[in-house]
Amino acid sequence: MRACGRALGFAVWLACAAMALQQPSPDTLLRRAIELHQAGDIPGAIAGYRAYLKQSANSVMARSNLGAALSKAGHYEEAIGEYRQALELEPGNLPVRVNLALAYYKTSQISAAAEELSKALQQQPSNRQAVFLLADCELRLGEYKKVIELLAPLEKESPNDKALIYLLGTALIRDNQPAHGQLLVDRILREGDSAEARLLLGTTKMNAQEFPEALVDLKKAAELNPQLPDVFSYYGLALLSTGDMAGAASAFRKELESNPNDFVSNLQIGVLFKQDQRYDEARSSFERALRVRPGDPAVRYQLATLDLMIGNVEQACSKLEQLTGETPQFVEAHVSLATVYYRLKRKADGDRERALVLKLNAESQAAQPGAQMQ
Amino acid sequence: MLELKRPPLMNKAFLKHINRRQFLAAGAGGLALLEASGIRWVHDNAASPEHYLPETMGPGCAFLDYDNDGWMDIYLVNSGTCDFYKPKKPIRNALYKNNRDGTFTDVTGTARVPGGTFGMGVAAGDYDNDGFPDLFVTAYGRPILYHNNGNGTFTDVSEEARLGAKVFEGHWTTSAVWFDFDNDGRLDLFVCSFVDYGTDSHLSCGDNKLGRRFYCIPRVFKPTASLLFHNNGDGTFTEVSRGTDIEKSLGKGLGVVATDINNDGRMDLFVANDTVQNFLFVNRGPDAKGKTQWEEIALAAEVGFSDDGRARSGMGVDAADFDGDGWQDLFVANVDQEMFSLYKNNRNETFRDVAFKNQVAQATRLLSGWGLRFLDYDNDGALELFLANGHPDDMIDNYSQAVRYKEPLLLFRQENGQLKNVSAESGPVFAKSFPSRGLAIGDFNNDGRIDVLVGTNGGPPLLLRNNAGQGNHWLGVKLQGTKCNRDAVGARLTWSAGGVKRSRLKNSGGGYLSSHDMREVLGLGTAAKLDWLEIQWPQPSGRTERFTDLPVDRYLTVTEGQGLS
Repeated sequence: MRACGRALGFAVWLACAAMALQQPSPDTLLRRAIELHQAGDIPGAIAGYRAYLKQSANSVMARSNLGAALSKAGHYEEAIGEYRQALELEPGNLPVRVNLALAYYKTSQISAAAEELSKALQQQPSNRQAVFLLADCELRLGEYKKVIELLAPLEKESPNDKALIYLLGTALIRDNQPAHGQLLVDRILREGDSAEARLLLGTTKMNAQEFPEALVDLKKAAELNPQLPDVFSYYGLALLSTGDMAGAASAFRKELESNPNDFVSNLQIGVLFKQDQRYDEARSSFERALRVRPGDPAVRYQLATLDLMIGNVEQACSKLEQLTGETPQFVEAHVSLATVYYRLKRKADGDRERALVLKLNAESQAAQPGAQMQ
Repeated sequence: MLELKRPPLMNKAFLKHINRRQFLAAGAGGLALLEASGIRWVHDNAASPEHYLPETMGPGCAFLDYDNDGWMDIYLVNSGTCDFYKPKKPIRNALYKNNRDGTFTDVTGTARVPGGTFGMGVAAGDYDNDGFPDLFVTAYGRPILYHNNGNGTFTDVSEEARLGAKVFEGHWTTSAVWFDFDNDGRLDLFVCSFVDYGTDSHLSCGDNKLGRRFYCIPRVFKPTASLLFHNNGDGTFTEVSRGTDIEKSLGKGLGVVATDINNDGRMDLFVANDTVQNFLFVNRGPDAKGKTQWEEIALAAEVGFSDDGRARSGMGVDAADFDGDGWQDLFVANVDQEMFSLYKNNRNETFRDVAFKNQVAQATRLLSGWGLRFLDYDNDGALELFLANGHPDDMIDNYSQAVRYKEPLLLFRQENGQLKNVSAESGPVFAKSFPSRGLAIGDFNNDGRIDVLVGTNGGPPLLLRNNAGQGNHWLGVKLQGTKCNRDAVGARLTWSAGGVKRSRLKNSGGGYLSSHDMREVLGLGTAAKLDWLEIQWPQPSGRTERFTDLPVDRYLTVTEGQGLS
């Protein structure tokens, strides 16, 4: 048996040696992978890069290229892994960082994308692609002031850059700076009626609580360009404000058809599902919204109250304790936490939360115009 | 002795248009019938370009038998002179005497109940136990206590009763309820206080740039404490809310119902507040010094806020054991987008909102509810729900696609333990819309089917004659306390018909700004016989009396300790 085994081992060694003699060199592997990549054979390129990286694991270029090929194939999570490894090897590689940000953006990890883009801009403040992408991320994260800070300095340099004006105008309007926002809207309108201009006008009117007027502009915007990001989200919000729940739900669905990870539509349709006691669908929507804006208190609150509604009291408790700890002024969260404590027979804790609710409500009431009346 | 109350004679042509499960309008909208009822009074809402908030809040209304003749009369509350309104011609409340033939006669002048301030609502109750219902009229301004003299007239006794203007300074009173909180056999008074609307000037809301004004959302005004008055038994009252949770709980009260949520024999209070949390004041009984202890538990009971932790715009409220489990459930109507809540009692001082399961949430998503009431409109023994709606903002039609100023009435029927919206099949009046506010229920034609009176803002009242459940039997019971309060508020009626046992607690108040027929109509369904009726009188006697061999399809009076008459 032993002799037979030794003979078999020798045969295997011979075969391996022969294969090694036939295997292309690392350079050949890489060259071939690049050729395949350029020729559009993405699966072939991925296999090629992977084969090369088995032999040359520290090649930043190969990892970066593999990330790009994976992104091209829609395998964003794997691409992120490759980009991150490439950046560990070469933290200052700007194109890799921007590509990583793009992959995060594509997977709706908007805050992670924003973080990478901020780092990229620290390295190269003039990188226009990074500026625009970061502005778009901040817009999605609801960080309107950051968008203004990023784009306002560029406005003078590029007064006719429609993309810049649109992004900046959107941020100004959503940040309740209608005067400056309106100037930009007018500039867009000079170019003729457009979905972008209508969306901005509609948003301005929404902020001014002129809902029927907003509805007209937003409807028109959706007709002009149904693919314009946010157009159905805002149309849905306007419909909600005018009491048309069914219309709003339909608009949010349309937004999600073209942009499944839209924050506003996921949150709002989740609330509508929750009201209709379609709890599983509500949870999925909230979870998608939370992927876009991780940590968003409004979404986390919705998830906590969803738990409360379906009887997951302990889970609701933990979520609400965390939420109230982070956002102590969040009255509704304190109300729900008090409810949770009372359900759990923790009366002292419930009473403490109730006292906080009363205090916060009294403070809010004191800020109302009627508080100053004689 | 049994007294048979015969239904009034009806015109045959009138009757042939009535379907078996329908309400028929005999007021606004049913113009031909408005003449027939003889009610010509119209609410003056004092509407102005300035849009002062009190303009949109009224009116309340009441069914009461002021002359004790066994027929329901009607009281209607109007606006009036106040700091922002000086009417060009006199405005008055109205008392209509029931002529027992489907028509009414205005007796306001002879009865001396015209009001005089900017009236809001009314609570009828026999506070001096003399057998005649008295009236407490709430107002933006001075409320009025009218004592019923028992001879067809009333006297304003507000000052003598220590319920004068000074007591209510800084309070805009809305709904009020008579109930006996300390079980001493006398009706006490709880009065909801709405917002602090200011004294020198009133806040203006709207877009001044465009010259548009609208009614301020009550959120902008300061909350106030509601008031509880103890009946001293000598025609005077003493405010006893000081130092209690009632005083500490600053709200914007619009609706109140007195009920017993924990079956401890003490009446509790559920108060609907606008833009702040609702209050559930649980009566914990007297402390060592004999002072009644009130504990506000709405948050813990899960009736204070929405499921999303938000205070809503609570307006109308009611309480009833709608699912027949022996525990009082609660109802609150809110403003559009907030949906109304039907709270099922969990029997442990907590509640669960089952409005969605009962189609109520879906049906009320775009509505704003005011007057409302649980009632057994078809006498099948199960409770139904009537809702009167209307948006408070008279300009809402200009900026909302789906919400309207005038809104439809809603009727929910209970089928297999679930409420079902049956408005569409309950008469043409449900296809119309009204700026409804107060709502009172009562059997104005003594046919055993409970009718509905609706106050509309700036319009004539709506009197709905109930034609439902004609195949079902019933027994109407007027309870008359001797040891307990004369109106027997807090009594529990339990009965069996066809082997089905049911019970009902005689609550007080409920709805919005309005007061209801004090009699209880017990629906027997198709059972032609009542097996037995048991009455547990409220304290101080707390005695239980049981009756058998009772007739059906008529009204009778049961006097505490003295049997039937």
